[in-house]
Amino acid sequence: MAAADSPSTALRRRDLCSRGIRLAGKMRADVVDLLDTYVEQQGLDASASVAAVEGVPLAAVERWDEQTGTQRLLENLAAYRAFRALLAQMLEEQREQLGEADAGLGRALAAVLLQVSAFAYHLEELLRLESRGIPGEEGDGPPPPPRLSLFEQKLRGLGVLRELAQWALRSARDLRQLAKPSAATGTAPGLAESP
Amino acid sequence: MFSRWNWVACGFYLMLNVCSPDVSGGLVQSCGHIIPESPVLALGSNFTALCILNESCLDFGNIYANQIIWKIKNRVVPKEQYREINRTVSSVTFNDTSSLTTPLTCNILADGQIEQNIYGITVTVGLAPEKPKNLSCIVHQISRFTYVMTCTWNPGRHTFLDTEFRLRYSWPEEVFPDCIPKGVNDSCTITDIQFFVNTEIWVEASNALGKAESDPLVIDPIDIVQPLPPQNVSVSSGLLPTVLKLSWENWISDAVMTLKFNIRYRIAGDTSWMEVPSEDTASPRTSFTVQGLRPYTEYAFSIRCMKEDGVGYWSDWSETKTGITTEDQPSKGPPIWRIIDASHSPASWTVHLMWKALKPFEANGVILQYEVTVRDKSCLSSPLKKYNVTSTNHTLQLPNGTYEVTVIARNSVGASPPSVLLIPASNSKAPVKNLRTLPKHDKLWVGWTAPNSYVLKYVIEWCLVSSSSDCIIEWQIALGDVQGIDLKGIKPFKCYLITVYPLYADGQGSGQSVKAYLKQDRPAKGPTVQTKKVGKAEAVLTWNHLTVEEQNGFIRNYTILYKTIDGNETVVTVDPSKTEYTLSSLTSDTLYTVRMMASTDNGSRTGPDFTFTTQKFGKGEIEAIVVPVCLAFLLIVLLGVLFCFNKRDLIKKHIWPIVPDPSKSNIAQWSPQVPAKHNFNSKDQMYPEGSFTDVSVVEIEADDKKSFSEQDLKPFDLLKKEKSTSEGHSSGIGGSSCMSSPRQSVSDSDEGETTQNTSSTVQYSTVVLNGYRDQTPVQVFSRSESTQPLLDSEERSEDHAGGADSTAQRQQYFRQNGGQDENNTDRPCFERAKQITHANEGDLVGFVQLQVSGQSSQPLGLGMEKNTQEAALSKVLQTYTEGQTVRPETVEENPLSVDDMPKSYLPQTVRQGGYMPQ
Repeated sequence: MAAADSPSTALRRRDLCSRGIRLAGKMRADVVDLLDTYVEQQGLDASASVAAVEGVPLAAVERWDEQTGTQRLLENLAAYRAFRALLAQMLEEQREQLGEADAGLGRALAAVLLQVSAFAYHLEELLRLESRGIPGEEGDGPPPPPRLSLFEQKLRGLGVLRELAQWALRSARDLRQLAKPSAATGTAPGLAESP
Repeated sequence: MFSRWNWVACGFYLMLNVCSPDVSGGLVQSCGHIIPESPVLALGSNFTALCILNESCLDFGNIYANQIIWKIKNRVVPKEQYREINRTVSSVTFNDTSSLTTPLTCNILADGQIEQNIYGITVTVGLAPEKPKNLSCIVHQISRFTYVMTCTWNPGRHTFLDTEFRLRYSWPEEVFPDCIPKGVNDSCTITDIQFFVNTEIWVEASNALGKAESDPLVIDPIDIVQPLPPQNVSVSSGLLPTVLKLSWENWISDAVMTLKFNIRYRIAGDTSWMEVPSEDTASPRTSFTVQGLRPYTEYAFSIRCMKEDGVGYWSDWSETKTGITTEDQPSKGPPIWRIIDASHSPASWTVHLMWKALKPFEANGVILQYEVTVRDKSCLSSPLKKYNVTSTNHTLQLPNGTYEVTVIARNSVGASPPSVLLIPASNSKAPVKNLRTLPKHDKLWVGWTAPNSYVLKYVIEWCLVSSSSDCIIEWQIALGDVQGIDLKGIKPFKCYLITVYPLYADGQGSGQSVKAYLKQDRPAKGPTVQTKKVGKAEAVLTWNHLTVEEQNGFIRNYTILYKTIDGNETVVTVDPSKTEYTLSSLTSDTLYTVRMMASTDNGSRTGPDFTFTTQKFGKGEIEAIVVPVCLAFLLIVLLGVLFCFNKRDLIKKHIWPIVPDPSKSNIAQWSPQVPAKHNFNSKDQMYPEGSFTDVSVVEIEADDKKSFSEQDLKPFDLLKKEKSTSEGHSSGIGGSSCMSSPRQSVSDSDEGETTQNTSSTVQYSTVVLNGYRDQTPVQVFSRSESTQPLLDSEERSEDHAGGADSTAQRQQYFRQNGGQDENNTDRPCFERAKQITHANEGDLVGFVQLQVSGQSSQPLGLGMEKNTQEAALSKVLQTYTEGQTVRPETVEENPLSVDDMPKSYLPQTVRQGGYMPQ
């Protein structure tokens, strides 16, 4: 964390946090809507339990309130980079499966993908403001998942969206935490907030 | 010679090179080319083109660069712009490309002045794109989850070239596909919008001459959103009568943006909106309760929204929804007034109470009924009378007195405050002063000056004045502190009677009235004028007033216009209150045309023409003429009657001459046989009218006497004597006279002794007349001693009756008479001749005959009883005869005076029909 923020930096951070929070909120709302559409479209049971998706960090974390701001940003960035790859894959699979038959679902997925990308950009900008280096993406991203059946693809997509919704909620809280003046110090927040 | 052939061969070669297809390439092998090839040039820049000739053409055709001619669109470029770079290259330079037109061609002027095109290029001139300016974007919400961003910019000047515009946007790590406008060059719409990320947006314009980019616009699309207005707006009434609750749905989620709102409302039917204070609706919500509304009033609502922080754009207004507030009790009592009709009975009134329905904002609901209470103030002990009325009027029969009337309006919630009207016994309070009106556009302002006393309120009555129907009163109440109101619903060109009553706390002032028009026009028609009386020099005109419907305004005056047919028109202005006017100084016995014009402040209208003729005589003039004339006539008639009375015998004799019938005369048995007398038969005597053909007229000129023989003139001498003598005693009994001895008569008259002789002679007979015309005269000869062959003469006269028509015979007859007897003057002959004489008054004989015949009837008319008056009557007759005739010279020739005549015949009875004995 930077030792001292210039006014412009502080303003920039506040603005980024504010937008990030709202983006996260919008993203969560869209993902929730998309989940309903996805479940209906793919013929899945909304109550079906899905195992953790490989390559996606879990939103739930212990001792969340003890995390530093940078740590929060890094975890968020890693998660959204993963979501970006997964959503891009889902979108491709979706197009392969349905073609142009269900353009609405594809557009919604693309919109969420854009939001994920935008949020990742927000996180990177915040990290730059923190004078922290941005971790590079690992080559072409995570290793390609093994070839799955169609049903497995649908379940994985359901899992991705559910986890994204969780992460959107957590990210909004993380950014709120970062937006607090004390967060600029890079110390752990005093107030405990669980996602 | 060789040279000419050489040039022909050269031209042919050139044409072959230009026109014939090349075997190898399939195209024409040109003798040269231009560089640059089809350039795009900036407008206003300079430009140089080179025409390069092929070496092959040089060798064969002797074509060199100095022979090149440049043309732009068939126009030769001035040689000053050429430059021969070497023997195969020529350049042309244009300092300003705006003068360039396409195509630019390179031509060769070969020997023989044959101009041949070598090459041509198309030159395109235009401008590089300008930097797009004023880039702005707005994000429209299309549906609940759909947003599009439309950016607009100023593309700059026209480039005259195909110029491509691209709207580009990107995130720092994300480049989005360009937005290429279709059909326009100044806007483009992006459908893939992501919020909460700053997006860099710019416009790129490019064409063959260059490329330009606008300044980038970095913006989070969420900050330029125009959301959809709230949906499904509903209005519901609350518990209170002054509130309505609005509910709606926001179609933009809170995750995207939170909203603030504007709420506007108005009473249904109004045009102006009211707004709920913005600070009351600056927070996200889906409902709002609007307060301070009127009870039982329909309101219309509309809502809009925008991002809560105010960054962005307001949405459009939502569709209008209406709601009605609940009822409340009426806020005030109805205005009340009355019309008192006291005409039916002097002891009681018919009071027509009337009140106005409350306005909606006063009624606060549906008025179910009105409660009318009447209290007799003059008798405190009398009970209150209450009436429940659903209409807005009520009629009461009340004894004369003072009453207090109270009206309460009631709806489903409650009752209004009471409206009180005092009906006093008399309107004796002070009226308003200076009542006046003033039109104001479509309203009529009524103003007055308040009386000195405090006035609670004023009642203004008005009604449309009509000649055909009663005045239907409208009324209005004004507060006591105003001194004028506007009357609405007033029709132009109609007369209104306006009355203002001041109402005091203890009574009512008398009303002041004024007539007024909102707008005046000229009368609908002119008055119809007619004459009431026409004299010699004056005429009384009368007309009827125009009806109030025809007046269209206040009649300021009447104008009478009258003229003769060819005279100037005279104009007279008459006061509008009059209906009669007397025109004076008119010309007598003249046709006048009169018409009448009624005038208002806004014009005049003329009525129909009316014509009349003045009289020839004035009043009394006719009487002054007629009465004297009548009197004179009467006097003349009276005198005439008196004269006739006095002369009745003479007239009687003249009208009914006594004609004896000789056929019945006994004297015929003894009449002397005188053939000459046979000319006279009884029929001639009986019907003298038919005997004109028997009359022979002998015309004798006085100067021509000498032409006649003595024998011929004898009878006339005798006639003269006869004339002088027969005035007195000619009997008129033609036959008898003719048969009497003329000689005897003449001798009698001549000698003057005949009176005695006659009287001493023995009378032959006495002829008695018993009748005339209807009565066959009976001639009785009482005694006859005559030996005259009467019967023979009668027989002969009958014999001669048919042949006596010829003039010759008549002349012969006179001669015979004259020859046989000088005095044989036949009296009937004279009677008949008299009528001829009238047609020949200058004739001597005729005149003589007239003289004789004029007197011949006299003895018959007078009768024998008048013997004693003979002398006097003769004088009168003489005078009368002289008055009728002109005495001719013959009178002078026969100096026998009339005065002498009576001496000769008075004693003779023959004049009364007697016969003188011979």
